[in-house]
Amino acid sequence: MRIREQQGHMGNDDLGPVQEMVRSCIQCGTCTGSCPNSFAMDYTPRTMWRMVLRNESEALFRSRTFSLCSFCYTCTLRCPRGLPLTAAVNALKQLSVRKKVDVCRHSILFDQCFLESIRRHGRVRETEFMMLYFMAMKNPLLPVRFAPLAWKLMRKGKVSLQIPCRSEGRLETLFHKTAKRERIP
Amino acid sequence: MDRKKGTALVVGGGVCGIRAALDLAEYGYGVTLIEKAPYLGGILSRLDHQFPSNHCGMCRMLPLVERDQAIPQCLRRNFHHDNITVHLATELVSVAGSAGQFQVLLRPKSRWIDPERCVGCGLCEAICPVTVPDDFNGRLSHRKAVHTPIPHAFPRTYWIDPETCNRCGECTRICPAGAVRQAYPERRAFRIIVVDDELIMRDSLQEWLLDEGFTVSSAASGQEALSMLAGNRFNLMLLDIKMPGMDGVETLEKAKTVHPDLCVVMMTAFATVETAVETMRTGARDYLLKPFDPAVILPKIMRIFTDQEDTTGIKIEVNAIILCGGTDFYHPETGKNPWGYGCYPNVVTHLTFERMLSGTGPYGGKLVRPSDGKPVKKIAWIQCVGSRNSQLNADFCSSVCCMAAIKEALLAKDKSETPLETSIFYMDMRTWGKSFERYRNQAETMHGVRMVRERIHSLVQDTVTQDVMLRYADRKGMCREEPFDLAVLSVGQRPASGAAVWAKQMDLTLNSWGMIQGHAFAPVRTSRDGILVGGSCSGLKDIGESLIYAGAAALEASRLMHAAGGSLQRHPGNAKQDIDPLAEPRIWITVCWKSKDLADTVDEARLTHRLRHDPALGGIDFCYPAPDQGWQKTLAVDLRARAFNRLLIVNGQAALSETDVRGLTRLLSMDRAMVYFVDLSSALFFQGTFERESAAIALERALRQGMAYLKRVDPRAAQLVSIQQQAVVIGAGIAGMTAALAVAEHGFPVDLVETAERPGGHLQQLERTLSGCAVQPILADLMDKVERHPRIRLHCQSRIIQAAGEVGHFVSTLADREGRTSRLSHGVTIIATGAQEAKTCSYGHGNHPAVLTQMELEHRLHSQSLNLKDVSTVVMILCVDSREEPRNYCSRVCCPTALRHALLLKARQPDTAVIILYRDMMTCGFDETYYTQARQAEVIFIQYDLGNKPQVETGDDGSVNVTVFESIVGRYVHINPDLLVLATGLAPVFPTELARGYGIAADSDGFFQMMDSKWRPVDGPQEGVFACGTAHSPRLIPDAVASAQAAAMQALKILSHDSLSPGKVVAKVRTSLCVLCERCIAACPYGARMVNPDTEQVRVNPVICRGCGNCAAVCPNGAAVLEGLEKGQLLAMIDAALS
Repeated sequence: MRIREQQGHMGNDDLGPVQEMVRSCIQCGTCTGSCPNSFAMDYTPRTMWRMVLRNESEALFRSRTFSLCSFCYTCTLRCPRGLPLTAAVNALKQLSVRKKVDVCRHSILFDQCFLESIRRHGRVRETEFMMLYFMAMKNPLLPVRFAPLAWKLMRKGKVSLQIPCRSEGRLETLFHKTAKRERIP
Repeated sequence: MDRKKGTALVVGGGVCGIRAALDLAEYGYGVTLIEKAPYLGGILSRLDHQFPSNHCGMCRMLPLVERDQAIPQCLRRNFHHDNITVHLATELVSVAGSAGQFQVLLRPKSRWIDPERCVGCGLCEAICPVTVPDDFNGRLSHRKAVHTPIPHAFPRTYWIDPETCNRCGECTRICPAGAVRQAYPERRAFRIIVVDDELIMRDSLQEWLLDEGFTVSSAASGQEALSMLAGNRFNLMLLDIKMPGMDGVETLEKAKTVHPDLCVVMMTAFATVETAVETMRTGARDYLLKPFDPAVILPKIMRIFTDQEDTTGIKIEVNAIILCGGTDFYHPETGKNPWGYGCYPNVVTHLTFERMLSGTGPYGGKLVRPSDGKPVKKIAWIQCVGSRNSQLNADFCSSVCCMAAIKEALLAKDKSETPLETSIFYMDMRTWGKSFERYRNQAETMHGVRMVRERIHSLVQDTVTQDVMLRYADRKGMCREEPFDLAVLSVGQRPASGAAVWAKQMDLTLNSWGMIQGHAFAPVRTSRDGILVGGSCSGLKDIGESLIYAGAAALEASRLMHAAGGSLQRHPGNAKQDIDPLAEPRIWITVCWKSKDLADTVDEARLTHRLRHDPALGGIDFCYPAPDQGWQKTLAVDLRARAFNRLLIVNGQAALSETDVRGLTRLLSMDRAMVYFVDLSSALFFQGTFERESAAIALERALRQGMAYLKRVDPRAAQLVSIQQQAVVIGAGIAGMTAALAVAEHGFPVDLVETAERPGGHLQQLERTLSGCAVQPILADLMDKVERHPRIRLHCQSRIIQAAGEVGHFVSTLADREGRTSRLSHGVTIIATGAQEAKTCSYGHGNHPAVLTQMELEHRLHSQSLNLKDVSTVVMILCVDSREEPRNYCSRVCCPTALRHALLLKARQPDTAVIILYRDMMTCGFDETYYTQARQAEVIFIQYDLGNKPQVETGDDGSVNVTVFESIVGRYVHINPDLLVLATGLAPVFPTELARGYGIAADSDGFFQMMDSKWRPVDGPQEGVFACGTAHSPRLIPDAVASAQAAAMQALKILSHDSLSPGKVVAKVRTSLCVLCERCIAACPYGARMVNPDTEQVRVNPVICRGCGNCAAVCPNGAAVLEGLEKGQLLAMIDAALS
């Protein structure tokens, strides 16, 4: 099909499930109008869905649009076609993790470190979580950027400085099961 | 006129119901028209201004010929036709029997004000203490519990709303005419027995019910109740379920064996609800849930009371039933997204906005904001509220809202005293009908209506200014916020509240959205024989289309009645006229008083003495007719003994109506024009005071006025036009054949003329419709019927070369293939010449093999000559050369055709990429769902604008390059399709050479020019010529069939008579006095006048003229006169009134 050859290099199958979700979109723009984060997006939600349908995955995963979704569900509530837009964004986010998309590196690492901390202790240990994040980001200047905030939080006792001991992760089984269900290697 | 035997029931008194009833009545059948509201007119009684003239034109539906059978006045105020019985505030209860013989039970709602006694003085309204928001005005104003249901009602009959009335009884006391009867005696006669083992329950219920005026007894156990039932008659039993000893279920069973008709309502606590529901299967009517709240249970009991009151319903037998129940509208406050409706005062629906524009509306026609009364300066319309919404299970288009919004915007601009900014926020602007596209262009360019192709997701109100803030994303993705004074929601259609009930009652099929499902090729037929559906009941339509569907339903009903022998005469022959109207005027006066008391207030002897001076007076009678059916006959017998030739009847509150007077006139076999009817009811009770002096004066004045009229009335009978009872149908496509067959099946000969070798038209190339119905079997069946019918003469390869004449006697010259001519003499003509696919040279059509039109693709798909293996990408361009000058109209068929082709290609080969380039998808009505299906089937839709059309380059190597601006992603995309399909639309085939002979004309696009696009949708400017199918306007198959049926119905109304009379009062022109100033032409509200270019004289079309007299009033020279109501006569009447 020539129209497809002219666009993106990714196979159909990657975007296929997402396309299926938004197939009957009529580009009315209700999602864009109702999105509270659209001001910060490079493509508006409407354009993004159009790109999904047009299979333009390269440009799609270069953009920040879907990673900025804060799951407020307004677009899902308002969409006249009743499309599961928030679920579709979620699917795009998961796709980006699997594809290790560069634009989303920060948020992916952030999420991973967050989950790692939970896996180890059954809750987030802030200090450890920050350490993990800084190490993963491999940017020596990053801690300096967060120093004023850290100082503020510590003064209020929001963040404790104690180094957590590496204990047996109580949620290991849960994570294991979830990974199995989501078929994450 | 003699009535025919057939009878029909029309359910719903909106414009469609009226149209269908009038069509059948004019043909001669007896019609019963019922309406559940206490007024006629349906939704249109709320809309004062209609597209395109911004006037109301409802009266144009009234009969043109034999018009004296109906009251030739405003249809919104009053309606009467000799063959139509109207029952207002009446519901359909049950239907039994089968086509041709239905037994129908109708139930009138209990009316607490007797419409025949009410004089409209308004005293009850003034004293009524209950004030509630008025739903008629969209709750923007208030009304009393007793009110006139519509502001323009005439006579002004009051109505008590039983839901809000608090039964204080003030209105009963104050009514001077004794018209209010709140059923207190009936309530006392209504006996209720309360059965409960708890004393406190019995006592509180008994007290509440006694307060309401019922007679209440109580019993403490089942046994006691049964013993009481044995000796007495009860209307209602309230029965507790849990009782010691005999429980409620057992008591119910035993009570039912003794009194099977007893109405029983169970009382239950929450724990035994299931048992209560169970008892409803064994005969209980309902159940009440404890603990009791009087606000909940009393209305339920009142409902049972009124229902039992009403069971004395009307039983009638009819041959056919036409359902014209109309449609309901979406209530935004019930949805997930209410668009602020119900919480922000400055958000209204478009129906409420129409009321705001109305002079009888909440603000007297002033355009002010509901929140603070400030003048409105900026309005936004939000389209598709509750339509085209899959979330709300509303995957359909409501068809009329786009045009309604444009009309409202223009009307608001017109009404506003200050400059007004209007914006319409839409998804696709659906201007699918005749002249709609030009109207839209004019609104946009000439009147500055702003059209924004964006959907508003929701809105908020500014807390300080109370402006409505609209937030939307523009095409570039920028989010904009804009304040408006007022937001109007274009709410979509919903099935009428009665549709589901009807479906159950009559075993009808509903479509997925709850509307009544019509047959695919005969849309007015329902799944049950003999029950037809007209108007918006099967999907919202604009006025013109609704009336077409109403006419079509009337035709199908008539076909059924005719087949069942309903066309036979009911009263053969006219009684001999023994009253000579041409003799010297001899006037007899009959004054009908309601009672002797009332009559005593006027000194009869003195009055007679004073009037005796006039030699034309034959005598005066004073009578007190009892309000029963027989009085007309008694009066007629009494009058037969008198010597007179003109009659003056005065209604002194004796509940006489125009219908009664006409009945009397028929019994006396007099001309209605020789009878003068004065209704003094209101005048006698002016402002509610009755004074002897003023009543006597009012009566004498009225009598003198009537005598002045009768003395000078023109005694000659109205002229008759003889009718050649034959029809000619030009064009034998599906519309022409349908029309011809319909006329022939009513027993009239038809000549069907077709230029092609065989009948069938374009449909021969079509395999299936968008909804998947096979076309060819239906077409073959129709062709077979037409060819075999003994009354149809089919002339193929022939054409009409010359025509002349007018309604009743046209003469056409027919030429066959060899050029031999013959003369056809006929009474009516139906034009069904159709249309053809427009030719085009755009986008390389004709130069490149891969560029096809839709018809060419159709042909290749049909003949299997298209190898789909070679086709991987198809681009379809819609609106090629259409919807822009010179062919500035929507062809209606191309969008559905494109969807059909796209879905077909996708079904045959799912890998094919189909890209549709469109301007506005015109998938109106239930076709919208196929648009959704196409999107789901991976068809890609790209919208383009007129200013930025797609560019097509065709290469010598056989390649086609399409470049189009994709506005959503904001850049040009290039596509190399293997096939480029162009939707060029329809071009009319109009017999221009015959136009003059038949007195018809083509409109600016070459289609048939109608008499009135809304109210006379298939009639030509001259009576007797009708058009249908695509010659009329571009239309889909069901619409074409409906228009053919409607045209046939209009034709049959003329053909059923051997001679016809236009009205008695008709305008004429004294050409010697006329200076051709043409003021009368501008003044004529019916368009009956025109300058004849040949003779340079003003000509009046007597069939269209209604004798309103506007022309006579504006003519500076006295050249315009009203025949049958002349100046001398009117001046004499004025003199008499002032004497």
